Amino acid sequence: MLASIPSAIVIGVDGSPVTVEVHVGNGIPGLTIVGLPDAACREARDRVRAAVMAAAADWPNKRITINLAPSDTRKVGSGLDLAMAVGVLVASGQLLAERVEGLAFVGELGLDGSVRPVPGVVPRVDVIAEETIVVPLSSSSDAALVGGRTIHGVLTLREVIDAVAEETRCWPCHPVPEPVSTLDHIADLSDVRGQEILCDALELSAAGGHHMLMIGPPGAGKTMLASRLPGLLPDLDDRSAMEASRIHSAAGSTLGGLVTRPPFRAPHHSATMVSLVGGGTDSMRPGELSLAHAGVLFLDELGEFAPTVLDALRQPLEEGVIRVSRARFSAVMPARVLLVAAMNPCPCGEAGRPGACRCPDGLLARYRRRLSGPLLDRFDLRVQVDRPAVSALLGGAPGTPTSERADRVLLARERAKERGVPLNSQLNGPQLEDAALLDPAAERLLTEALSNGRLSARGLSRVRRVALTIADLGGYRGPLTARHVSAAMALRIDVIGTSGIAA
Amino acid sequence: MSRLPGRTSSEFLRLAPVDRVAACLVALAHLPGLGPATLRRCHLEHGAEESWFDIVSGHHERVVPVVEQLGRMKSEVTGRLLAAARDRDAVADLDRQRRPGWAMHVLGSRSYPARLAGDPAAPAVLFSCGSADLLAEPTVALVGTRGATLAGRDLAESMAADLVRAGVVVVSGLALGIDGAAHRGALAAGSVADPPAEAIGGRVLAVGVVASGLDITYPRRHADLHRQIAARGLLVSETPAGIRPDAWRFPARNRIIAGLSDAVVVVESRAAGGSMHTVDEALARDVPVLAVPGHPGAPASAGTNALLFDGAGMARGAEDVLLALGVVPAAPPRSLPEDPGGLAAGSPAEASVLEVLRATPSSLAEVVAATGRSVEEVSHALAMLEVAGHIGRSGAWYEVSLMGRLAR
Repeated sequence: MLASIPSAIVIGVDGSPVTVEVHVGNGIPGLTIVGLPDAACREARDRVRAAVMAAAADWPNKRITINLAPSDTRKVGSGLDLAMAVGVLVASGQLLAERVEGLAFVGELGLDGSVRPVPGVVPRVDVIAEETIVVPLSSSSDAALVGGRTIHGVLTLREVIDAVAEETRCWPCHPVPEPVSTLDHIADLSDVRGQEILCDALELSAAGGHHMLMIGPPGAGKTMLASRLPGLLPDLDDRSAMEASRIHSAAGSTLGGLVTRPPFRAPHHSATMVSLVGGGTDSMRPGELSLAHAGVLFLDELGEFAPTVLDALRQPLEEGVIRVSRARFSAVMPARVLLVAAMNPCPCGEAGRPGACRCPDGLLARYRRRLSGPLLDRFDLRVQVDRPAVSALLGGAPGTPTSERADRVLLARERAKERGVPLNSQLNGPQLEDAALLDPAAERLLTEALSNGRLSARGLSRVRRVALTIADLGGYRGPLTARHVSAAMALRIDVIGTSGIAA
Repeated sequence: MSRLPGRTSSEFLRLAPVDRVAACLVALAHLPGLGPATLRRCHLEHGAEESWFDIVSGHHERVVPVVEQLGRMKSEVTGRLLAAARDRDAVADLDRQRRPGWAMHVLGSRSYPARLAGDPAAPAVLFSCGSADLLAEPTVALVGTRGATLAGRDLAESMAADLVRAGVVVVSGLALGIDGAAHRGALAAGSVADPPAEAIGGRVLAVGVVASGLDITYPRRHADLHRQIAARGLLVSETPAGIRPDAWRFPARNRIIAGLSDAVVVVESRAAGGSMHTVDEALARDVPVLAVPGHPGAPASAGTNALLFDGAGMARGAEDVLLALGVVPAAPPRSLPEDPGGLAAGSPAEASVLEVLRATPSSLAEVVAATGRSVEEVSHALAMLEVAGHIGRSGAWYEVSLMGRLAR
């Protein structure tokens, strides 16, 4: 007999529907799984058999063939176990096929017949066409985030059998456990003392989506500042929220509800290419870049990251997606992040201050050579961070609270929307020309900067975008003045990269 | 001797006596472990030729200075030294020093610069490229840190130009920072269209003393300066051609700078540094030392301010130096504008920003904190000042420019 049970796997951050076909027939007793299962999938043979027997059902002593359709794509993970077990039961006549009509099954099976959670419930449920889906109990709240489905959370295979066996399907009603959210809490900017310029730059970054580089010695507060940036960003819109939720679910987190706040990811500089960018040979898990989608990616000690890893970031920063290709398949994962990075200025700690910095020329250049010109060029804001004065730390006034700055950010973003883009940093050439008019003094200043080499042509358009955001934050609507432009230039210092000075 | 020890070719016997001495000195100068002091002792106490052949034929124990020097060092050095000696061809070494425009000066010969002849640490042999007569003129050394501020470099350049215009030779070490600026100023003054009272016989009053062979350009960034000084001024070294500037050769060359000068002026220096060593050498030779005052807090003036505290003469400009030398200039020095800051009194914001920068190079945050103005105001003032060339920018740091030009 033949059974056909719908389920799904995850590749990257997207689900892929799989039909589990089970054939029970004559021949030497045994179980074969075809359809390019990976190792975890192949091991389902033993799990499914033990679980079916633990659920007090019969394991058919026949030749059983399980096909995971479509047969030419690789199946990864253990999430198809439950569907396989149900398929065996239907194909061996222990369950009626009509009873499982319109039901899809996702879950791993334990040897004791329990149904275990698997990563990526949200993307899986998203691609399953069936209206009713049976998932492990602890994943039921995540699965429910995908609207328009009926979700049944179960603890054991036995529950599934009992529910399906009845004429009127009566599913168990477990109290849904409070899911523990693995996403973090963001601290307030009022904790930061003595760094007003930095906080202003942070506000600019949030308002216009401008990538920011902080250059300063250890202890200056770079990580403290970066971690507070998500607080300035508005809640995710519906589309971004769903995208982020799928991504985090695919990575294995339990969400505790839809992801509504921009995520903050801070990978260590020893991170491998795969962990940062995503991939891996089998399952194509999303990397830090995708986990930070619609939020902030903070790279501390930028110079310590492997150059190949940094290079891999350039394209996603431009396109907003990361494309990962392997021999068997490829995935496109969302990766539109706000990049914040920090680096040490120089080994002696004087940050190249003329007259004080003890680093010989060659050493300074070599120290910064790890960073390529094109990467440095991606940063619209490049700010020097000094250690705050002790007086500011101990007795100074607290900084402007996050909420106050966040309100301004929201208003500025509204203005960007009026121009037809979500953020100023995404304005293209012609749009920038229209939106960011320059008054004569501003134009003179920029022309002068271009002619004496202070700014490159690319730097000029970047400065203009930042100047526009500065104007937006101040509620100013007219042509940009020399003040706006000079403020933008002052926040974009030169950093010596491999290809000379990045301006 | 029908067959000379070591690799020295038989050409040696056909050399004039003075050339034979020179050849041996050059060969000795190549040996690892023998420094300028030992070389001089060999030349004066034992004789250059005798020293060379004693070493090469395996009788180095006869050469007292060498024995004493080797006694201070590890035994492997002796082996290396003797092996190196056996490999050298003194005649070839001598030939390598003969290039167009080059001259060799052996201590004790007539061509040796009079100034250095009586020096207690005089080099046994000097190599020069250019006009050695310059060494007879009044000479001032302008030295300072490699990591100089823009203001420091501007001042060194203008002082050098003024001194050269007054007929004083400017000597320095061709290093980055102050040295380079001083050479640039001297060369610029020497090429002015005005009647060149400062150029004697068409030569520029610029002298550079280097730590390497004269054919090696170090640092690479000063290749052009190197070329110009060799062509139009005078380049000096005690190191034979082809030898790179090992670290120990830099302090060694500082003593030559001090020995050639009538006064040493330190323009900018941190508390410790190469220029301080030059000061020590000057003091040991009773050469007057002057220093340029700086803001009490500026790191680049820490050394110079300390010198002033210890009693060095003050040099606010070329006039002070000329006064110390007893030279009366034909016309008053004219490099620096009367009031470099006054020209830039655009807006009150610009004026207050300029005041902060005159003290020491500062970052945006420091200027904001010091002036108490808003970030917007300060960044606007900085941008305007930079465009007008009154300040320069180096990465995140803003510096005042004394000469009203854009930052180098």
